Amino acid sequence: MKLDKGAWNPYLAGALSGLVGIFSVWFAGQYFGASTSFVRTAGMIEQLFGAERVAQMSYYAKTTPHIDWQWMFVVGIFLGSLIAALTSGSFKLQAVPDMWAKRFGKHSVSRRAITAFIGGIVAMFGARMADG
Amino acid sequence: MNMLIYGLVTGLLFGFLLQKGRVLRYDKQLGALRLQDMTIIKFMLSSVIVGMVGIYLLNDLGLVKLSIKATILGPVVVGALIFGVGWGLLGYCPGTSMGALGEGRWDALWGILGMIVGASLFAKAFPFLEKTVYTWGNLGRITVPQVLGVNHWVIIPIFVVGTLLFFRWLEKKGL
Repeated sequence: MKLDKGAWNPYLAGALSGLVGIFSVWFAGQYFGASTSFVRTAGMIEQLFGAERVAQMSYYAKTTPHIDWQWMFVVGIFLGSLIAALTSGSFKLQAVPDMWAKRFGKHSVSRRAITAFIGGIVAMFGARMADG
Repeated sequence: MNMLIYGLVTGLLFGFLLQKGRVLRYDKQLGALRLQDMTIIKFMLSSVIVGMVGIYLLNDLGLVKLSIKATILGPVVVGALIFGVGWGLLGYCPGTSMGALGEGRWDALWGILGMIVGASLFAKAFPFLEKTVYTWGNLGRITVPQVLGVNHWVIIPIFVVGTLLFFRWLEKKGL
């Protein structure tokens, strides 16, 4: 296994994350998830343009647009990663991932942006359908 | 308010571990999809086996409640196939996109914007899907031990040992 500097063994990091999951269910009764928060965010944004229309949509009635445990969990993932990266010197501003750059070149920023954006649309549509 | 703080702290710990395990990166996620680098599989399965043992133990002690989602083959199979295509293009999943952004990999931002749009489109499509895909193969809230008619402490050790053997095989192959 080739680990870069500052990386933890993935088995150890994974097992510790399992412990965090156990304590979350124990203390807060909450199982990990992320994609529901994207629905709530979409609903909150749509409310800015027409609250009545959002109120009439059955999916937003089921997944109401508001900030809850999971929404803060998702914000926490961003902050936790930021802290881990900054304190270990592995923070790196990158517009194009290394593997992508090898195939499409370092300057394919807009190509990467369009692919990621479309990929995001498709991935979230599928994730929500499978209830994941 | 308390729940929001719980959420933030839990996310912080999880995001920290995701970054340390190096599983947030596009290269790692595509590496797994291309069967070249199994780092994220190691992380995920380690998390699953630890969580499985702990949560079932707490459940038997009456301290927690399981959250079992209904198995409906239509949306699970179709949704998973669609998700896979999107994941391969984006190279991040919903949770890891936020973590990737935290690491400075800001191409994740395009994915996050796309996922908000995708969620909005799904909300619009839901009434139609509910009448079609969601009616295909609803098996209800089933679990593996329940379907096989055995105690969960029969299944859990088998799953744990199977996973550990799989890990040993991955290390042998240098993946």
